[in-house]
Amino acid sequence: MKKSIQAMLGLWSVFHLLLLVSLPVSAHHVLGRPAYSLNEDSNTPPSMAVETQVGNFFVTYMAFPAFPKANEQGRVNLYATRIDTGLIFDGEVRFYVRDDHWLQSVSKDSEEQLGTQLIDDGVYRQGFRFNQEGSYIIRASFEADGEPYEIDFPLQVGEISRVSTLGSVVGIVVLILLAANIIQSRRIVRAKVQSASAENAKNRHNGKSI
Amino acid sequence: MTMTHPGLPMAWALWVLTSMVLCTAWALLAPAPTEFTTRRRSFQSVPFVAGLSRYLVVHSWPLLLLKILFVGVFLLVIAAGLWGTAIPERNLATALTWNLWWSGIVIAILFTGSAWCAVCPWDTIASVLVKFRLWRRSQSNSLLRLTLPKKLRNLWPAIILFVALSWLELGVGVTASPYATALMAMLMVVFATLIMVLYKDKAFCRYFCPVGRTVGVYSQLAPIALRPVDDDICSRCETLECFHGNDSIDACPTLLVMGRLQESTYCTSCGNCTQSCPSQNINWTMRSPSVEVIQEARPHMDEAFFMLTLLVLTSFHGVTMLEDWQYSISQLGQLIGDSGQLLTSFTVGLLLSWLLPILFYFSLISVCLLWLPSGKQALSREKLFSSFAFISIPLAFSYHIAHNLNHLLREGTDWMALIANPLGIGSLPLSMVEKHQRHSGMWLSQEMLFSLQALLLVVGFYLSMQVLRYRARRLFQLRVYHFVPVLLFAISVTGFNLWLLMQDMVMRM
Repeated sequence: MKKSIQAMLGLWSVFHLLLLVSLPVSAHHVLGRPAYSLNEDSNTPPSMAVETQVGNFFVTYMAFPAFPKANEQGRVNLYATRIDTGLIFDGEVRFYVRDDHWLQSVSKDSEEQLGTQLIDDGVYRQGFRFNQEGSYIIRASFEADGEPYEIDFPLQVGEISRVSTLGSVVGIVVLILLAANIIQSRRIVRAKVQSASAENAKNRHNGKSI
Repeated sequence: MTMTHPGLPMAWALWVLTSMVLCTAWALLAPAPTEFTTRRRSFQSVPFVAGLSRYLVVHSWPLLLLKILFVGVFLLVIAAGLWGTAIPERNLATALTWNLWWSGIVIAILFTGSAWCAVCPWDTIASVLVKFRLWRRSQSNSLLRLTLPKKLRNLWPAIILFVALSWLELGVGVTASPYATALMAMLMVVFATLIMVLYKDKAFCRYFCPVGRTVGVYSQLAPIALRPVDDDICSRCETLECFHGNDSIDACPTLLVMGRLQESTYCTSCGNCTQSCPSQNINWTMRSPSVEVIQEARPHMDEAFFMLTLLVLTSFHGVTMLEDWQYSISQLGQLIGDSGQLLTSFTVGLLLSWLLPILFYFSLISVCLLWLPSGKQALSREKLFSSFAFISIPLAFSYHIAHNLNHLLREGTDWMALIANPLGIGSLPLSMVEKHQRHSGMWLSQEMLFSLQALLLVVGFYLSMQVLRYRARRLFQLRVYHFVPVLLFAISVTGFNLWLLMQDMVMRM
């Protein structure tokens, strides 16, 4: 009994110690999710921002406008700060672009350099203008502490067609139902054949007996 | 700019703590009576509504209309997610799914029990696709009617899917993406269809669906459920149409016999029993709230794990909104070389946050065994574990509603604008002024919200004490002080949830 009390008090203390050492905190923002915002006091268009963490850096990527169109001027802003010290990265950042397609992710052949940017008031600004609508990947590349950093961000130019998504889902459902129908039809046929064979065998057996 | 909701003030926290102390003292000192006095009254016996309630449950068209309505809304959500704006607060898919449905479904259980399952669009669409009918017997060629493997005939599939859903919601962030929301909705329909094609009865609803099982577990607290109007009629019944169905109406999809039903966990309120009962003896019934969880529901290990998972993941929602959590995940990301959305780190954090509290409960149950009087020490750990896991239900439910009240009341969605433009075509992101307006324009006053949150925590804790008192008495012929470790678990969870509610919380959109 004494041991059980000690064990229980131990668990109880550890649990509450953990609660006590955590001071009241404010809320968070979640890494990697696009956030859309509009500042009515500024003349900048609505923006899309993504925050992410790579190695020793927090990187913020912003696209202006939030929903760029083909043949329309736009730009991306990039900020990188060290996680440990909060110091702003001030080296050189190269920007590349490629189609956002799963085949492209393994090949760099189709990658095109957008430009190389130096820091300007704590921000790297890279302009762009796309002639065609589509899904693109913007890659920001820099070197820090002797290590290469490459960060990919999505950029959608124009509207996305979702027909293929819906088509795939409908296709999967049709395939499931079709496969089930074929299997079930075969089961029914097999059951009928087995039942007929059993009936024949029974009849033959009865005939011989007679 | 991140908008945050202020946490529960210290005065309310002190009130909750004082109430907890009083409840604990009462639970320790007052022995539980042998039986929990319950009352039950069917709507069929309530003057003025008796005829209407009987008509509504016996006829199929009211439910059919509701099913059509919900499928229509569901298809609109998918269309909005696929073709609407990517701005989550301007798109019906994200606003309706995560702001209203995900928050409101738990509150709805208080008033409608497990009725959500009856109108669930996942099952309705799957039924139409596979059976070409909704409740009548089907001879469709698409039904393979296999028996679900025995290893899957428990709540573990639902537990795994529930954890996966939390991972998608909080880790991947489907709540902020209309497209991902629509994709997830469609995948659930595909999954429900696949399971319906393969296995007999409604294996998806009974064993796989995390939403259905959450509704089922919480509905043990609901003051309303489908039950026999007259128990004597059921006890004399030999044909069991509620279980087998009849010539036209399908059998109970989750294999329940109404006359013996003691817990609503698996009841999907589908209405097959109400329509097939020749005596029209099944109807919606008002009853003492939480009677099932206090004494009627029988303990099973898989259900116990589901209840504990529900408890843990409900609090985990609050935990992910703390800056300490973000800092820890960021540190872990650096340590293991994780980058981008830090999904690996989040997954590790989620798994630890899921398993450690359950391990904590398990440890306390083990301590409990040592604590018991000498004659009772032969009790199995499994029995104690599953019997007292029921205390999780009121604790999870109360925090779940208290947390979601913040989202529901403070994140005022402009529903008129969304109904007028559900796809959000051409709309701009929320401006700072709009964010402030939404933040300040609450449905109820802030003080009312705080009082509701505090009251919910106290009621949840009180009910958990009731569970402890009655189960200790009924199952083990003991008193609460013999199960002090379980009592400490309830105190710890409520204390932790109270602390979470005291923190500032980020606006979801």
